[in-house]
Amino acid sequence: MAEHYRERIPGTPRFKRDKEYPPGTEPFFPNFLLKEWIVGAMFLVGFILWVIFNPVGLEKVANPEDTTFIPVPDWYFLFLYQLLKYFPGKYVVFGTVVIPAIATLALLLAPWLDRRKERHPFKRPIATATMVLSVLFMIWLTYVAAEEHKAELAKQGPQATTPGGQQGTASGPVVDPEDEGAKLYAQSCSGCHGPNLEGSFGPSLLGIGNRMNAAQLSDVISKGFPPKMPARGGLQSDEQVKKVAEWLAKQKQK
Amino acid sequence: MFAKMYDWIDERLNITPIWRDIADYEVPAHVNPANKMSAFVYCFGGLTFLIIVTQILSGMFLALYYVPDIVNAYKSVDYITNEVLLGNIVRGMHFWGASLVIIMMFLHMLRVFFTGSYKAPRELNWVVGVLIFLVVMAFGFTGYLLPWDQKAYWATAVGTNIAGSVPIIGPYIRTLLVGGDTLGALTLTRFFAIHVFFLPAFLLVLLAAHFYMIRKQGISGPL
Ligand code: HEC
Ligand code: HEM
Repeated sequence: MAEHYRERIPGTPRFKRDKEYPPGTEPFFPNFLLKEWIVGAMFLVGFILWVIFNPVGLEKVANPEDTTFIPVPDWYFLFLYQLLKYFPGKYVVFGTVVIPAIATLALLLAPWLDRRKERHPFKRPIATATMVLSVLFMIWLTYVAAEEHKAELAKQGPQATTPGGQQGTASGPVVDPEDEGAKLYAQSCSGCHGPNLEGSFGPSLLGIGNRMNAAQLSDVISKGFPPKMPARGGLQSDEQVKKVAEWLAKQKQK
Repeated sequence: MFAKMYDWIDERLNITPIWRDIADYEVPAHVNPANKMSAFVYCFGGLTFLIIVTQILSGMFLALYYVPDIVNAYKSVDYITNEVLLGNIVRGMHFWGASLVIIMMFLHMLRVFFTGSYKAPRELNWVVGVLIFLVVMAFGFTGYLLPWDQKAYWATAVGTNIAGSVPIIGPYIRTLLVGGDTLGALTLTRFFAIHVFFLPAFLLVLLAAHFYMIRKQGISGPL
């Protein structure tokens, strides 16, 4: 069997003179590359299928006012993020600098830390054990971080987890119901957003002040969401929009 | 006709030895999965490269539509996702590819580590590999901000604040990344430039060094 590997695929003669190679070797091109390409093509097909069945979403546009959003890094940074949580207060440097720097340097300098000729993993137990333990530790940190994030989201309630915040579950008193904005709201908006901001056809606006300031609200209301919500929400003038927006910006909830 | 064209060029530039040098490389038996199935671990590096190529291609197509400013970034990504023909597939490839690069690269690194292939004479290539690793992580960090949605914004806010908490140099690093005090227009253009111009340049140089050294030193022998 070993013999035929050394033959090229017909039609692609060897360029150099045939040397004596150990059995089992084969030329890189085209023999080996063809097999590599078959593996690569299968890999790509699997990848594309994954992409087709897992479409990427997009959350709401970035909003610096909305401090209720629970931030989380992409999964491959979770282990670092989790590490920080174990070093509160002034010890945080251990999480941000000391441990990551030691780990990175150890990785970078591995060839000089482990200089013996021995290559088999079982014959260099310290190197192998260190790497296995580090990888397990990283996986564990990632897992714990993901679980904690899930728990935090659950605590915040379904409002935050549904992108778009359609069903507001925040329930609390309406702030400043005697404001002029409140009167305009009652005339023009309450039909869709509920007399007490609780939402009906349109989403609840309770706690909207946590997510948007007056300027952003004016903007959203002026544009509306045609056809679901008319521009200016049915109000007559920009002046009125501004009043309602200022009043809504005060609707903060804990 | 192609043979004639090839000969014409070869007569003038003598290109045959260049690619023949790679083509005639004898792939040793112990890295060939056709001989021994367990040798598939030696494929991880090649697969990582394959996904890097798809990242570059999908990134080039995303860049046709993506606009790096805070008013339009989100809209352009939304447009790519919902309007552009196959835009969601291209974006999906780039998004999932980012994770896949990291996974494959990590597996490749573990293969090199556990087979002790970083030992003399391959120390330099190992160092280059670790640098590539850091560059790819930086790709992920900067790319994450680009859609300018809530998760992008807040993850980056936290990330840059963590960088800012580093003693002494932290505040400078943060200013360098953020381009000011608060995350905003300058941050987005910076992250975009780093993601699309700086990091690819570093990555291509490092990859060239990586592959040159592999060819020069050959793959490490059997265990
Ligand atoms: C015809 C019904 C209707 C009227 C009238 C209406 N809205 Fe709306 N509004 C909606 C709907 C439906 C949405 C959700 C649109 C979406 O998210 O696609 C909405 C969304 C909003 C939002 C965004 C909520 C969020 O969570 O981002 C605000 C703010 C808002 N309306 C304020 C107002 C104000 C103020 C008025 C009165 C001036 C008003 N609306 C009148 C139906 C209405
Ligand atoms: C030259 C190569 C590259 C170019 C031109 C490029 C370009 C882009 C562009 C224009 C975007 C914004 C569009 C979007 O968010 O969907 C983006 C996003 C992103 N890129 Fe790249 N990119 C390149 C390489 C990489 C690599 C190697 C990685 C691997 C880690 C990567 C990771 C990301 C991530 C994580 C995002 C965010 C995706 C999302 O949330 O939708 N990029 N890139």
